[in-house]
Amino acid sequence: MKTTQINSEERIKAFKSVKKPEVIEKQKLNVRYHVEEYDVNDRPRRFLEAFAAILKHSNYRMALDHYARVVSRCSRCATTCQIYQATGNPEDIPCRRSELLIDVYKRHFTIGGLLKGRISGRGYLTDEKIQQMADSYWNCTACRRCVLECPMGIDHGLITHLARYILSEIGIAPRALVVSTREQLEGQTKNTSAIPVPALQDTLEFLEDDMFEEKSVKIKFPVDVEGSEYVFFPAVSDYLMEAETLMGIAAVFTATGDPWTIGTGYYDGINYGLFYSDRILERVIKHVDAETKRLDGNKVLIGECGHASRSAKSFMPVYCGGKDALPVVSILEYTHKAWKDGRLKLDPNVVTEKVAYHDPCNFARNRWIVNQPREVLKAFCKNYVEMTPNGDNNICCGGGGGTVSIDEIRSYRTTVGGRLKAEQIRKSGCEILVAPCANCKKQLRELVEDQKIDCQVVGLHDLIYKAIIFDDSQIVNKEEQPAGNQDETGKEEK
Amino acid sequence: MGAILDFARGPLFRLCFAIMILGLARIIFIDLWAAYRAYKKTDDKKMPWKLILGRTWEWIFPAKRISHDFRIYSILSILFHIGLIIVPIFLYTHIQLWKGAIGVSWPALPFGWAFWLTIGTIVFAVSLFIGRLVIKQTRQLSRKQDYLWLLLLLIPFTTGFICANLNISPQNYQFFMLVHVLSGELIFILLPFSKLAHCVLEPLSQLVSALAWKFPPNTDDDICTTLNKKGAPV
Repeated sequence: MKTTQINSEERIKAFKSVKKPEVIEKQKLNVRYHVEEYDVNDRPRRFLEAFAAILKHSNYRMALDHYARVVSRCSRCATTCQIYQATGNPEDIPCRRSELLIDVYKRHFTIGGLLKGRISGRGYLTDEKIQQMADSYWNCTACRRCVLECPMGIDHGLITHLARYILSEIGIAPRALVVSTREQLEGQTKNTSAIPVPALQDTLEFLEDDMFEEKSVKIKFPVDVEGSEYVFFPAVSDYLMEAETLMGIAAVFTATGDPWTIGTGYYDGINYGLFYSDRILERVIKHVDAETKRLDGNKVLIGECGHASRSAKSFMPVYCGGKDALPVVSILEYTHKAWKDGRLKLDPNVVTEKVAYHDPCNFARNRWIVNQPREVLKAFCKNYVEMTPNGDNNICCGGGGGTVSIDEIRSYRTTVGGRLKAEQIRKSGCEILVAPCANCKKQLRELVEDQKIDCQVVGLHDLIYKAIIFDDSQIVNKEEQPAGNQDETGKEEK
Repeated sequence: MGAILDFARGPLFRLCFAIMILGLARIIFIDLWAAYRAYKKTDDKKMPWKLILGRTWEWIFPAKRISHDFRIYSILSILFHIGLIIVPIFLYTHIQLWKGAIGVSWPALPFGWAFWLTIGTIVFAVSLFIGRLVIKQTRQLSRKQDYLWLLLLLIPFTTGFICANLNISPQNYQFFMLVHVLSGELIFILLPFSKLAHCVLEPLSQLVSALAWKFPPNTDDDICTTLNKKGAPV
């Protein structure tokens, strides 16, 4: 599937910068995203120092050495890159983008490159090249679809990740991500949406009341219950924006009866480190690990969020003890298993609209979670349609790689990034698009709004909440219910 | 010219071949050693072997990997690679040379197959060259060396074809044979030091990419110390 190139009017709209010229001048950085104040002096030297430090303490050298030797510029990656298809700009071809960094590596960190540079006196890293990287690597959605197309197996997503990491070490990273992460790791609320514990508890109580009103079932959000099987970490923004997703998840646990809990010590699954810094990635993962251990939980349960799930699944073993690390389960896996085991019953007559499923890249690209949500959806959505391509070859929502959180580039995301996705959604004719990822949901809602597509974007558990069937024993006759709900232990709640 | 040809086919060939073998062995060793060290450094020892081996296999035998959006170019590329590997290794005259030199031989391609496969490889190479020039994204991405490589690879095939199949004078034969041998030897020498190294490194690519995501533990601390950022805010 291919998309057309944007026209000149769309190009102006997509690449319009909201930044003031004096800020660009002061920061010596012509990028569309906001950057916090930072030291602009001597950037090439500091970039190389950061690069050297990262190479010293990581495994990136192996990959860079290998990629530098095999890169063939066959241009197959160009055929799948939705950014390049939309812009037509050769700088957006994944291979070319990766070579921005690979060239710096070859020139400054290999013997051949150093000798060649000394003899020719050329190829030094310049400030202009840093600016070019700062722009280019944040135009990429890090969807990693190009990886599947590369005969040489070059992981352009890895190169984008590394380049952003180095840039962040010299102060160049989107302010939206940095500020959120600072609150998450060093702020009082310890989460990216700055939700304090009392507000969280209020929200949960409100949702519980709402669910009781709707379903006549006492559906609980257990808080700080020690010894639970699952300790739950959603994208914390779900508490503000995705109430129905959370209600669906709580409903599933009520149906299965498995013990789970939300910890008030740390309750944010979001990990922007995956998008711009391994150091941040590590620190966030360690918070998740510490909170699960504090509550004596057995498993880390991540909510509907692709990057949070991949961060935890892939990097808990890396940073928290290898094979002894706590197991990580995605809520999609949990719900699928519950449904398959017959512990979750869904009414096939509730959702009658045309429903399609969007694969979040972080679930599907490595074929981790592809069929499970589809099987669940097909079980109760009569009018399910498939978008193609899908699975590990899915088309990104256009807001991947953290770009969805950068509000100042919304027009870029919905004009360039999500252009191909918009066409795919239109072609499917779906009325409801299921996207089990907080980032994808935000991006897709903005996309359908800006591209004027008549389609509702929801999470998987939003629909499950509508269709879930509880046992008769769980349904409470409200008229018989005494004033004030009671929990399982019979203790009266507030 | 006869003496030069003898030199090119004798000691020079052995030297170039040795450079190629040692050079390729070196980069394979470097890659494997780096992979081993990366594996040792990370705490996460669980490798997605099924995915790695599956994708490696798919790219070594890329029948399933013909690009939908790039169909003709990718078919031509696959056929070109088949010719590039099969013809030099399984050509009867080449095998005879090996047999004479080290006493080892293997089954050869039938003459007709060799004939058409050689022509095919030349045609595919020319088509890929034109493709690089004509297709927008390929042209945007190509460097000088990408065109030069195709031309260099064409030389031993065309000269070999001329020597084997055309009725030419002995002097012309010697000239074309010399060009054939020297161009082949130039390719041998450049192989380990150029993008053609992918002929041996490509099967390791999926492993390298998977391992690269297996970061070592405690890098936050190490990098902060190295960059003097200990205690600095996020």
